[in-house]
Amino acid sequence: MSLVTRNALIALGITIALVGTVAFAINYLDQARIAELSTIEDQISIDALSLETQFSLLEAVPCDSIASSTTLSGELLTDLDNRLSYAENRLGSDDLQVIRLKKKYSLLEIRDYLITRRLALACGTKPVTVLYFYSNAGDCGDCDKAGYALSYLRDTYPTLRVYSFDYNLDLGALKTFIVVTKTQGPLPAFVINGKHFNGFTSLADLENQFPKGALASTTATSTKR
Amino acid sequence: MSPEMLAYPFLFLALFFESFVLVTLLSKPAKDARGRKAAESGGTAVLPSVTVIVPCLNEGETVAATAESLLALEYPKDRLHIILVDNGSTDTTPTVMERFRSNPQVRILRVPERGKHIAINAGIAVTNAELIGCLDADSFVDPDALHEIIPCFARKEVAAVTAAMSVHRPKNILQHMQNAEYTFGITMRHTLASVNGLYVTPGPFSFYRRSAIEKVGGFRHGHQTEDMEMALRLQQAGYAIENAPRARVYTTSPDTVRKLIKQRVRWTTGFLRNVLGEYRGLIGARERGALGMLVLPSAIIAIGSGILLFSLMLYELVQHLATAIEIRAGIPLSYALVPHGSLDWFYLPTSFYLTLGIMMLFSAIFLMAIGKNISKTPGNLVLGFISYTLLYGLIAPLWLVRATTDFVFDKRRGWKF
Repeated sequence: MSLVTRNALIALGITIALVGTVAFAINYLDQARIAELSTIEDQISIDALSLETQFSLLEAVPCDSIASSTTLSGELLTDLDNRLSYAENRLGSDDLQVIRLKKKYSLLEIRDYLITRRLALACGTKPVTVLYFYSNAGDCGDCDKAGYALSYLRDTYPTLRVYSFDYNLDLGALKTFIVVTKTQGPLPAFVINGKHFNGFTSLADLENQFPKGALASTTATSTKR
Repeated sequence: MSPEMLAYPFLFLALFFESFVLVTLLSKPAKDARGRKAAESGGTAVLPSVTVIVPCLNEGETVAATAESLLALEYPKDRLHIILVDNGSTDTTPTVMERFRSNPQVRILRVPERGKHIAINAGIAVTNAELIGCLDADSFVDPDALHEIIPCFARKEVAAVTAAMSVHRPKNILQHMQNAEYTFGITMRHTLASVNGLYVTPGPFSFYRRSAIEKVGGFRHGHQTEDMEMALRLQQAGYAIENAPRARVYTTSPDTVRKLIKQRVRWTTGFLRNVLGEYRGLIGARERGALGMLVLPSAIIAIGSGILLFSLMLYELVQHLATAIEIRAGIPLSYALVPHGSLDWFYLPTSFYLTLGIMMLFSAIFLMAIGKNISKTPGNLVLGFISYTLLYGLIAPLWLVRATTDFVFDKRRGWKF
């Protein structure tokens, strides 16, 4: 075998090994991402369960200092939302692990939303909640713009609670939630403190859908995640 | 299918070629070449007679320094001669040359008919030296460079020897980029020479065995790349082309993007016209070993992949920019223009495409560092690494696209920048 042939074969082996290592490393990192998402979801799940338990225990006096301080961390939910979006972009919206995590996340959001409403009813607080329904099925041209506008609002008004749902996710609880909240297309669809709004044209239009003074009354902050 | 998928075969081939270079660099022939001792003027062996031809066309600013550097070569004066060829200059070149007329080592020729190949052939015609060197009139050699060249002619089949080129006193970022590229070229030339894979004997300080030139004929126009045409012709005739990695020569490089593109368009169209024209028989020729089976096919693929990868990058950049602008419309600029990413490892951009690209870049920088080390070229390459990383991928596709277009539409351009 000539030197050139020998070297070419060795180089081919090295190249295959390098490309294989890169593929393995990328897959390893993706799995680590999924594992981290799962860990965060577990943490939120425990927090939600704890919150519900506390709420039940203190049913007689739900608005005392202990109960009223036990809402889920909006920052944690936002962080999970961002990570899940990133994982979905990387692995694809049809990835089975991503779908499983999205289902779990949607359940957490629904639970948090219900607890927030219960606390509001019981204690007379006036949280501003936004239910945002999007689609990745190619039938929502404005969903990216709407998502970014909501990120801006959420970062600017930290007390705003934004819950985003994949409208097409095959999850019984979500389908029921959609029916209960009377949400319909076209997408994107919003339910802002119970008021329905469809489509996205501009940030100003979206802001107009909020209750008067709802955004102004919250504390604007420059703190970003 | 994602457009990125188109890039993977090319990235794989590029990695394969760089791996081949690294493996060959560690093989015995390359090691032996690095261990080759320089010739000694005071040794017992008689050194061959050498003539260096310097073709000049309007090189009044640099030709004196070029000639001075040749006269400073550590070589017996009676065995080294220099021919300065004025190839129809209209500037001060003839006047500057006259300053050397009284030097017994120097001969001055006037060749009004323009053409670098014509000037070199005129020089060859008036010398009987065993070895004939060429040096562009904007290049300068280290005093021991010729001593490094001579031992490379030890084997009879060696018809030509190339030197180790660097950029002469790089001043701006573009010249630093070229210096890094030239240093990369030192490694490539040294490695490929060990498997007889060179297809160009560059203008700055390449040497030829006189008998070989006589056998294959003199220099030709070669589509404005007479050095490449000669190298290909020598390869076709079955000769070997060697490299002396410590024979340092410094050449003046273009200092603006426009000049650089013009120079590289000439080189690239010259390559395409020669290799896909008269010398296409070398491509894939098993009897030509690495040159036919690997080097020439890779060089052709590199031109195509350079254009493709740049187009893909541009496409993705435009697409991302358009999307980013669209989704930010109406959002206050104080928010929209601030990046909201996180330094968390979770968001590490680990795409296959990007990772392979980064690996290629690092291996190129590694090969540059090797080039600097084996040639013992002085100076700092840090600016070169940085400018190469930032600029090369953006500028190189411009000359590749233009050269390919010129080749396809048979458009001819002047060669002087």
